[in-house]
Amino acid sequence: MIRSLLPVLLPALLLAACAEPRFYEQENPQRLSDWNLFRDEGSRFIPREQTLVFAPANPLFTDYAGKLRTMWLPAGEQADLVDGELEFPAGSILSKTFYYPTGADGLLLESVDQENELDRARHRMIETRLLVRREDGWHAMAYVWNEEQTEAFLRVAGASVPASLQRASGVTDFVYFVPNENQCAGCHVTVHPDGPLHPLGAVAGQLTAAAANPDGGRQSQLQAMQERGWLDAPPAQSAAASWENSRADLETRALAYMNIHCGHCHNPDGAADTSALVLDGNHRNPLELGVCKTPVAAGGGAGDLLYSIHPGAPERSILLYRMESSELDEMMPELGRSLAHDEGIALIRDWIAAMPGDCPEPVRAFGNG
Amino acid sequence: MFTDFRIALLFPIALTLAACGEPQPQLSFEESLQQQLIEAEPGDVIEIPAGTHELTRSLSLDVPGVKIRGEGMDRSILSFRNQLQGAEGLLVSADDFVIEDLAIEDTVGDALKINESNNVTVRRVRTEWTGGPLTTNGAYGIYPVQSSNILIDGSVAIGASDAGIYVGQSTQIIVRNSRAEYNVAGIEIENSTFADVYDNVATNNTGGILVFDLPNLPVQGGRNTRVFNNSIVDNNTANFAPEGNIVATVPAGSGLMVLANDNIEVFGNEFANNNSANMMIVSYHITGLPIEDENYDPFPESIHVHGNSFSGGGAEPDSEPLALLQQATGQAVPDVVWDGTILPGKTAPDVLCMRGNGDADFVNLDAPGGFAAPSFEIGPHDCSGAELPEVSLASGP
Repeated sequence: MIRSLLPVLLPALLLAACAEPRFYEQENPQRLSDWNLFRDEGSRFIPREQTLVFAPANPLFTDYAGKLRTMWLPAGEQADLVDGELEFPAGSILSKTFYYPTGADGLLLESVDQENELDRARHRMIETRLLVRREDGWHAMAYVWNEEQTEAFLRVAGASVPASLQRASGVTDFVYFVPNENQCAGCHVTVHPDGPLHPLGAVAGQLTAAAANPDGGRQSQLQAMQERGWLDAPPAQSAAASWENSRADLETRALAYMNIHCGHCHNPDGAADTSALVLDGNHRNPLELGVCKTPVAAGGGAGDLLYSIHPGAPERSILLYRMESSELDEMMPELGRSLAHDEGIALIRDWIAAMPGDCPEPVRAFGNG
Repeated sequence: MFTDFRIALLFPIALTLAACGEPQPQLSFEESLQQQLIEAEPGDVIEIPAGTHELTRSLSLDVPGVKIRGEGMDRSILSFRNQLQGAEGLLVSADDFVIEDLAIEDTVGDALKINESNNVTVRRVRTEWTGGPLTTNGAYGIYPVQSSNILIDGSVAIGASDAGIYVGQSTQIIVRNSRAEYNVAGIEIENSTFADVYDNVATNNTGGILVFDLPNLPVQGGRNTRVFNNSIVDNNTANFAPEGNIVATVPAGSGLMVLANDNIEVFGNEFANNNSANMMIVSYHITGLPIEDENYDPFPESIHVHGNSFSGGGAEPDSEPLALLQQATGQAVPDVVWDGTILPGKTAPDVLCMRGNGDADFVNLDAPGGFAAPSFEIGPHDCSGAELPEVSLASGP
């Protein structure tokens, strides 16, 4: 029986073996296809079965794009747990493909469903970002898809992609920005300026939530890693709070939102520690959050307002102003979006509106201001 | 385009050929410059050729030991007038950085921001908003922050809606031979220590030179700044800073303003025709803003003003208490204005010593008393203050 099947199975096995993702220790290849992370089947763009499709519990907003994320560890390798955090082995590759569902006339649509594969007949891919774990640490790079959707090319300096997005509120023309490698570090290096580049989604707290599991929520993504032999045992870390969790209280959701959208820079060691605003979701000291705190170097970003957070008065709060703005020198986050995130704005507005207290009215003695 | 794609799918062989033969995207000047900045090695010199180069996205540099060199601040111009992305023109986080002989124009936000870098030289660089002083201009021109061993030399900053040359939360600083014009603040040293500001021209700003210490910042305790041999004249441009920023409270016509900073030596400067007052020394309390920072010292102390020349100024104060003073006296506001706020237990000479400033006049505004009893007595301040040591940078340019 076994003998008789071999001639049939062998070529298939060989093919499968050839179809491993491929790791490059030194150079970044110019084409995404060189990494062999995906296969094409007709119009379908499918992560190879050796990869694990995952989604973080507390996702980052990127201009309403969908994100198809994959994780791959080399055969026989495992992630370690260091202080409860995943430490991927050299050779690991994380990918994130940014895409939009397509509508009539080539308009892009807001991504709603978490996809486990893409279909070029229904999706337009913009870029695929890789985080590659080499001996000396993580490396970030972005591949930009060509118009024909046949290949994505390495763009060290990023790219600007004009796009039109159709949402319930209407059609918005905008420029989607693919980050350059320094801008990747802008978020993925959280200890500024000399800290290591590290993943933000493929971390223990982000992978615990079963709800985020695209396989249907029966197992956590950490358990899926364990099943593949990529992990000895899941870490004890509790699930990251998610701003999308409508059952959580306002403050928990607001802090979770800031954790993933602000905290990469606004942490005690981050690039934005110059502002003294600590918005990493782990600090609740009112002044660190910006309650009744005057701006320092906000420029036009102050929006003619006096305080970062004015309790009970979202419309007088610089934090909300900068989330609503799409002006380059005003908007926050500075990177990663061209469009305002209506759902995030609504959350932060509700949070500030419900905040007790007030800020003093300044009595300006000197300038005529 | 999707129609095209489906047609392509019918011809998989052609598609494969197309994919393999697909040329790499051609790089624009902008992309190739940014790529050079990313792939630079320590010791590299990146040349900016003469010409006006249009950029749409922020540039950034993270590699130490790199020099960016143009062919002159009026010849090699990085223009961001059509900027689409990024909060600054060039963002640098890199030690041993040199930038020279080029201009950065019309950025949407800050022109040149240098964050957490040691040993920085900005030489013969111009940052400018070419449409004149507008509220919509970016905040800072030349902007090192949380950095150390900084030399800004022979540079020009024009049109910033906050400060033209702004050094914040930094230490070991020299700003010299530079020109700041039509900014809200010409040159500002904020929450910094050990700065020498000399041989500069600050003119046509709202405030010529500001030495500030502000609360709620990770680096504070601003002190030890020498401001000498500068020309601080005609800083009378109406304040065009966006409301909410601290400099929005600076009256137009401020020559030199010291706010809550300690150990400041001011000598050999030419002050002229700054129409609120040629020089002001104020406490943070003057802003009327709340102080929620227990570690913060809002009082200026040990300000030593000697051997300066003062002329004109104080004629059209852009400040209510100064305007009231002018009305009450029928005279221009005196050359040196102190708000009179003092830490209990301290005396007038602990705050301010003045000698050898020609016929400079003085007023203590009595801000703590609601400006009710201003005093023009210069006598309490006739003392010899400390002379501060020269700033030397750890590793010279």
